[in-house]
Amino acid sequence: MISLPVVLAVAAVMFGIGLYGVLGQTNTIMVMMGVELMLGASMLNLVGFMRYAWPDAASGAFFVLIVMTLMALEAAVGFGLVISVFRNRRTAELDDLTELGG
Amino acid sequence: MSGLGTALVFWPGAVIMLATAVYVFRTSSMARAGLLLLASLGVEGLLFLALASEFLGVLQLLMMSGEMVVMTFFMVMFMPDPGGLMGMDMIHDKRRSASLAVAVTVALAVFAVLTDWPAETLNGEAPDVRQIGFEVMGRSMFSFLFAGITILFAMVGGTMLAKHGGRFAVEAEGDAR
Repeated sequence: MISLPVVLAVAAVMFGIGLYGVLGQTNTIMVMMGVELMLGASMLNLVGFMRYAWPDAASGAFFVLIVMTLMALEAAVGFGLVISVFRNRRTAELDDLTELGG
Repeated sequence: MSGLGTALVFWPGAVIMLATAVYVFRTSSMARAGLLLLASLGVEGLLFLALASEFLGVLQLLMMSGEMVVMTFFMVMFMPDPGGLMGMDMIHDKRRSASLAVAVTVALAVFAVLTDWPAETLNGEAPDVRQIGFEVMGRSMFSFLFAGITILFAMVGGTMLAKHGGRFAVEAEGDAR
């Protein structure tokens, strides 16, 4: 059956997939997708803790709400940055964005 | 949901969630990658439902369906090869990033399995949604208000960054850009 270590292990695999995306992808939007997966893994951790370790604590749900907020913020600010960079450099490829100025 | 019911939803859901997450970075079509991420995070919402978090599960489905559709639009706009027809390789440092990701995954999974976590069984019903409401409107209200203000700042900041010419742009009178 399902237990807390099982949920945490599944979340660890999801976090690893997201980390691979963040480290390996060349496009800014794909890197943001990796970050989304890593945040999704952290939410799965929190729900697992809430279900199997502290079922009576409602504060766990609050933390999940905060992480969901963080995902929305990351997307909003990330898209703003991508639009800004694309206007200036005509690309969203990370390999071409190696200088802050110029 | 009983233990068997949870397992029947959790295992297939976990396999689909992880498989779609892997294919996000394997497909060469950007529209497909966005929809696969939507599938992955949507199935995660089903896992939340299976783990007796109905409110968070439904919220996850709603949030991710909106966010990922927006992300798919952005991917199609900004990728050099959105349809994946040119067979571009969009991965750099493949071996090092893969080995680091595998190492982190194994370390986290071993830590998760070997740690002696506190265990408490759920007493019958799932936690009452009202409890979350009392938590948000009571003890955690200040943090929740802070999150709301942060969202507002992010919206303003994102719009300013996306504005033509960036945040330092001085628009001429009557400039409609």
